[in-house]
Amino acid sequence: MKAETHFAFFDEGSKKEIRRAIMKAVAIPGYQVPFASREMPIARGWGTGGLQITLSIIGKSDVLKVIDQGADESVNAVSIKKLVHETTGVELTDRTEDADIIQSRHRIPEIALTKEQIIVLQVPTPEPLRGVEAREYITKRMHSEYDYSGAWLILFEQIMKYGKTATAADHPVYVNHRYVMAPSPIPRFDNPKIHQSDALILLGAGREKKIYAVPPYTNVESLAFDDYPFTVESFEGMHCHLCSGADVFLDELIDHTTGETIYQCNDTSYCMERMNENVNEKEKAEVEGSYA
Amino acid sequence: MAIDQVHDLQQVYRKILHSMSRPGTISSIQKNVESVDYNLPCYDATLLSAMTLLDAEVTFHILSDNQHDLIEKISDYTLARFAPIDKADFVIVLREDTEATIQQALEQCKDGNLIDPQQSSTWIIESSLLSNNGELTLTGPGVQHTAQLHTSFSTALWQARNERTKEYPIGIDLIFADEASQIVCVPRTTSVKLMGVN
Repeated sequence: MKAETHFAFFDEGSKKEIRRAIMKAVAIPGYQVPFASREMPIARGWGTGGLQITLSIIGKSDVLKVIDQGADESVNAVSIKKLVHETTGVELTDRTEDADIIQSRHRIPEIALTKEQIIVLQVPTPEPLRGVEAREYITKRMHSEYDYSGAWLILFEQIMKYGKTATAADHPVYVNHRYVMAPSPIPRFDNPKIHQSDALILLGAGREKKIYAVPPYTNVESLAFDDYPFTVESFEGMHCHLCSGADVFLDELIDHTTGETIYQCNDTSYCMERMNENVNEKEKAEVEGSYA
Repeated sequence: MAIDQVHDLQQVYRKILHSMSRPGTISSIQKNVESVDYNLPCYDATLLSAMTLLDAEVTFHILSDNQHDLIEKISDYTLARFAPIDKADFVIVLREDTEATIQQALEQCKDGNLIDPQQSSTWIIESSLLSNNGELTLTGPGVQHTAQLHTSFSTALWQARNERTKEYPIGIDLIFADEASQIVCVPRTTSVKLMGVN
């Protein structure tokens, strides 16, 4: 027997509780609001935090995009899209600019988001101080006392060991000059996109039972020392082997036939869009050429 | 037509969320208010906001002493319990409430603590017509440059509010609703400057 699920899977009581947590998160940017994370039909650690936010805010007229590490078609993104679509009937899209809600794992899309959009990020470890302190009640106190020496120490130790800050992703940020926040495992390349963003950014950690947010037009600063300034991944001189895009986040791949290193856009919908544009332009040129 | 507990409340929530993340931005819930067929001594927008946010897990307070009927109705519709001002998660201010009562409530309400700043009260306040031509200048997260706002809150009440939000992250978050079913929010992060007052 297959039971009819309620709109957006959740009962209304669950939605209300999560909605209230989101409101507090927006009012206290960067602060991790505890919430009663629900059992979901996907495993914890597979985006349940993001999914719970998405299901609590989504309405009939919304258009949803889900990405997993930049890709619209990876298993995780597809499963989440299917679940939301089957329980709400909302329209799905791959195009960033057509979406009202974008749920994402570990990337912020290349195309600038707009005022009308909400991006929901999935978070595995919401606590930026967890590396220095295992006890939750102590890290909560550290946040309350504005004691972020631990966060600085992590970066300092990396400089001592490797000569630079070695955060590959999830580089901690100061939000609104008050809370140090884990921006979820987005590459450093995406950190500047959170600063004074046009879109509302919501972050959900299902396993850790925390929701936090960065409202639009909020100051977000990546932690860095004066003599070791914050830098993003550099892709200078490289471009995507498919769409020849540059100035975007590129994945490094090995061409199996030649054994050479090649680069490819991490944001698949951005790459596809550019390839289609290139094809259209080529066709247009050919058509125009044939008339001449 | 009755309120659709699923879709009307979802739409109202998104409007409140939009306004809360963009202080000073006025949202209209006129479309959803049309489904309200209750006749209660409060604005339809107030009732819808309460129904959107309240349930059995939270408490609310109504300032006025002679609104037993409204308290009972809100309890019945949302299952939220009535609580004294210093315990309430939500504080509802009606048009009839006097400046002195509101001021006193602003001083007594929950504002959270440094460990748990989310354990603070959220206010749903009935105001005269809200507009962006006003005496208030808002800045802070969610406001790109500055925003202008007019509400029925007096200078003294804004000063009392500013006093309660001085020790950020401790503070209170305000939702204003008016007769035309408009909503505007002023969370604790917003710096509210009054014209002519420094």
